[in-house]
Amino acid sequence: EELIMSSWLPPKHPIVVNAFEPWAEEVEKVTGGRVTVRIMGKPLGSPPAHFDMARDGIADITYGLHSFTEDDRFNRARLGQFSFMGDDAIANSQAYWEIYGGKLDAADEHEGTHLLGLFMHGPGLLHNSIRKIEAPADLQGLKLRVPGGYVADLVEALGASPLFMSSPEVYEKLSRGVIDGVAFTYEAMTAFNLTDDIKYSMTVPGGIYNTTWFFAINEDKWESLSEEDRAAIDAISGAAFAERVGKAWNDADTVAMEEIGDKVDFYEAPPEVVAALKEVAGKLEQDWTESLGEGYDGAAALAEFREMTGVALE
Amino acid sequence: MTGPAAGTGGQGASRRHAGWYRALAAIAALLIGLLILVTCIDVIGRYLLNRPFGGAYELTQMLLAALVFVALPLTSADGGHVEVDLALHLFPAPVQRLLGRLAGIVSAVALAFFCWRLVLIGLDQVEDGTRSASLMIPMAPLAFLAAASCAVSAFILLLRREDP
Amino acid sequence: MTISLIALAILLGLVFLRVPIAFAMSIVGGAGFAVMRGWQPAGAMVGNAVFETGLSYSLSVVPLFIFMGNVLAGSGIAHGLFAAADRVFGRMRGGLAMATVLSCGGFSAVCGSSLATAATMSKVSMPSMRRFGYSDSLATGAIAAGGTLGILIPPSVVLIIFGLLTEADIGKLFLAGIIPGILGIIGYLLAVMAAVRLKPELAPEVGEVHPLTRRDAVSVFAVLALFLFIMAGIYGGFFTPIEAAGMGAAAALLIAFATGGLSRQALWTAFLDSATASAMIFAIIIGADIFSNFISFAGLPDALSGIVEDMGLSAWTVLLIVVLIYMVLGCFLESLSMILLTVPVFYPVISSLDFGLEILQDPEAVLIWFAIIVVVATEISLITPPIGMNVFVLRSVLPDVPLWTIFRGVWVFWIADILRLALIVGLPVLSLYLVT
Ligand code: NA
Ligand code: NA
Repeated sequence: EELIMSSWLPPKHPIVVNAFEPWAEEVEKVTGGRVTVRIMGKPLGSPPAHFDMARDGIADITYGLHSFTEDDRFNRARLGQFSFMGDDAIANSQAYWEIYGGKLDAADEHEGTHLLGLFMHGPGLLHNSIRKIEAPADLQGLKLRVPGGYVADLVEALGASPLFMSSPEVYEKLSRGVIDGVAFTYEAMTAFNLTDDIKYSMTVPGGIYNTTWFFAINEDKWESLSEEDRAAIDAISGAAFAERVGKAWNDADTVAMEEIGDKVDFYEAPPEVVAALKEVAGKLEQDWTESLGEGYDGAAALAEFREMTGVALE
Repeated sequence: MTGPAAGTGGQGASRRHAGWYRALAAIAALLIGLLILVTCIDVIGRYLLNRPFGGAYELTQMLLAALVFVALPLTSADGGHVEVDLALHLFPAPVQRLLGRLAGIVSAVALAFFCWRLVLIGLDQVEDGTRSASLMIPMAPLAFLAAASCAVSAFILLLRREDP
Repeated sequence: MTISLIALAILLGLVFLRVPIAFAMSIVGGAGFAVMRGWQPAGAMVGNAVFETGLSYSLSVVPLFIFMGNVLAGSGIAHGLFAAADRVFGRMRGGLAMATVLSCGGFSAVCGSSLATAATMSKVSMPSMRRFGYSDSLATGAIAAGGTLGILIPPSVVLIIFGLLTEADIGKLFLAGIIPGILGIIGYLLAVMAAVRLKPELAPEVGEVHPLTRRDAVSVFAVLALFLFIMAGIYGGFFTPIEAAGMGAAAALLIAFATGGLSRQALWTAFLDSATASAMIFAIIIGADIFSNFISFAGLPDALSGIVEDMGLSAWTVLLIVVLIYMVLGCFLESLSMILLTVPVFYPVISSLDFGLEILQDPEAVLIWFAIIVVVATEISLITPPIGMNVFVLRSVLPDVPLWTIFRGVWVFWIADILRLALIVGLPVLSLYLVT
C-alpha cells in the first residue's frame, strides 16, 4: 500500500529532511515493506488547506499548523501557543502530545483523521532591526510581523503594531523597512534570510510564542491498513515522533545560531519586560481557559505542561 | 479565432448594455478601486503617520477573490475565455456551430461542478465558523459568492450561441 | 507517465474543439485526479483550487498592473509615446514600424501584461501605419512582437508569478528584465530594418515627420515618471513589488486626471477591461493549478528529473533541452498556463545543476537567469503559431486582418527573438548585471 503525503514546506526544510523523510522510511521498514509513503515534491493545495486535505482524502497524510485557519475547530490546540511554554522542542512536543493528545482530547478536534503526531518547535523570539527592548515602552510603535492572533494581542497590548503576512513575505518587507521586526524562531531567521536585517533578538524564558502542529492520516485510509501495520506505525509515531521532530527543530535552531554567530545581538528580556508580558499573557490564558467549556480544565493543562517542560512561572 | 477579446463583437457588445451586466461591472469597478485604496492607505499610513494598516493583507485577499468572482460572469458573457477555434475551420459551418455549443456545454458542466464544491466549502465554513485571522471576517459569504458566480457563468455558457 | 501523456493528448483535443483552455485543464485535471484517487478527493481538490486561488494576496498584482496600463491607454498617453518615437525614426523606411516597437517598449515600462501592451499599441499605431500604406503583415507583426516586451520589461505580472512559484526575489527579477528588454527593442528595430531592406514594398520610402507637440512630450515624461516612481518605490524601500501595483495604479489615475486625457467613458472601459481580463487570467490559473496537481500526482515531474539524472547529461545540455521543450510547448500552450505548468517541473532540475561559471555560483543567480530565459521563451510563444496569444489579441482588435497575415509578418521578429534568447542563455551577465 502506497500512502501519499502532501508536503508544503520547502523540500530541504530541516523537519522535512530530518523528521518526515526518516519517518516515511521507517514506516516501510517496520511494516516489512507492506506500507510505503510517497512524499509529493509539490503540495496538492495551499498550506492552510492541509488539514482538510487529509480529512477529504486529497492526500493520505498531511501536516500543518493549527493556527493556519481561524475557526472554532482547534480551540483546545492553543494550549501550546502561549508564552513561557518551554525552551526545548523535544520536551515541548512530548508534553503537547501527552496533554493535548490526552486530557484535551485532540482526536476529537481532528475528526476524520487519525493523529500521527502533535508537536511544537523551539522557543519563539522577538527580533527587530530598530532597538534593544530595555523596557516595555521600547515596544511602542514598532511594526511587528506576528504569526497569529495570540502574539498579536500580546504585542498590541504593549503598544506595538502587529501585522500579518505570509512567512516568505517577511524578508521583502523587513529588508525594505516596511516592518521593524518579527516574532520568529532561531531557525526561521536563517531559513528566511533575515540575519542581515535583524539587529536585536530578545529571548523570553520559555519563548514569547510557539506554534502547534498536527501530523495526520485520513481515517478511512488508516482503517484500511491491517491491525499489525497500524500498531507498527503507531509505535514510531505519536510520542516517538514528538521526540524525532523535536530533535529536528532543536538541531535546526543550533545550526542557525552557529550561522548567525554575533551578527545579531541576542539578549534576555529584562525583568520589567517579562513582567509586562506575563500580565497580558495571564489574561489571554484566562480568556482561553474560560472558552473551553465543561470537561476541560485549561489552567490545569497549562500548569501540567509547564511542569513537564520545566518552566517556572511564579 | 478568438483571443481574450474585450467584447468587440456580436453577443458581447449587446450584453454589455444589459442591466445585470452593468450592475456587476459597477461592483467590479468598485472592488478594483477599493483594492487600490487599501494599498494606498497602508503605504501612506505607514510613512506619513507611522500607522500601518494591519488588515491590509487580508482585506486585499478578500477584495481580490470578490473581484475575480464578480467579474467571471462578465468574462463569460463577453466570450472572453481564452479558446482556440483553429481546427474548426476544417469543418462545415453546421458542424462548427455544433462544436461551439458542445464546448459551451462542457464549460458549463465544469462551472456547475465548481459551484457545487464551493457550496460544500461554504457550508463547512459556516459550521466551523471559519474567519480571517486578523479582521475576523467570516469566510463563508465569499464561498457562496463564488458559487453563485460559477452558477451564473455556467448558465451563460450553456446558452452560448455562435455569432451569425 | 503514460497517464500524464494521455491526459495531455485529451487536453489538446478539447482545446482544439474550442473548449476554453481554463475549463479544459480543470476537467482533464479533475477527472485524471479522480481516476487515480477517487471522485470525492478529486471534488475536494477542485473546490480548494477554485476557492483558494482568488485569495492569493500576491496575485492582486494581476488586476492592478493591468488597470494601470488600461488607464494610461485610455488617457491617450500611448499616442504621445508613439508620436515621440516617430520623431526618432520618422525619416527612415519602416520608421513607423520602428516607432511602434520603441513605443511598445516604453509602454511596457508601465504595463505588466503583454496582451494589454499589444492591444493598446494596436489601437494607437495601426491607424497611422495603414494611412501611410504599410503592409498589414509588417504593421501587425511589429505590434504583436513589440507587445511581448510587456512581461519582460518591469513591471511584469509573469515575473511576479515566476517569483511566487520559486520564492525568488521579485525586486531582483524586475531588475534582471531590463537589459534583456532593451536588447529586445534593439533586436526588433533591426528586424524591421532587415524586413524593409529585403522587401521594400512592405513600407513606404519615407514617412512624414510631425513636430513634437507639448502633449507628446508630456506623455513621454509621464511614462518616465511613473516608471521611476515604481522602481524608486520598490528599490527605495517604500513599498514591495506587490504593493507597487496598487501604488502604480493610483499614480496612473493621478497622471491621467492631471493631463486631462481620461474621459469618463475611457475610465469605465479601463475598469471593465481590467476586471474581465483578471477573471480570464484567474480562470486559467485555477485550471492550471488543478491540472498540475494531477500531473504532479501522476508523477510526471519525478519521471522527468529521473530521466535527466539517468542520462548523465551536462548542465548546458539539460538547459538546452529545457529551452527546446519551451519552444515546442510554446507552439501549443497558452503562455500563462505554460509557466504555471512547467516552472514547478523544470525549476528543481535546473537549480540542481552546476554550470561551471563564476557568475552562476550563487543558486539565486541561476534562478534569476532561468527566470529571464523562461520569460523570453514565453514571449516567443506569444507570437508562435498556432496558439500565439498576442496574435489572437491583434486579431480581435483588428477583425479585418486575416490571422495568417499577422503570422506572416511576425517571422522576422521571431528570428530576432531566437537570437536574443541565444544571447541571454550564453551570456548570463546580461540578466545578472543589474542584479549584482
Ligand atoms: Na512591463
Ligand atoms: Na504559441
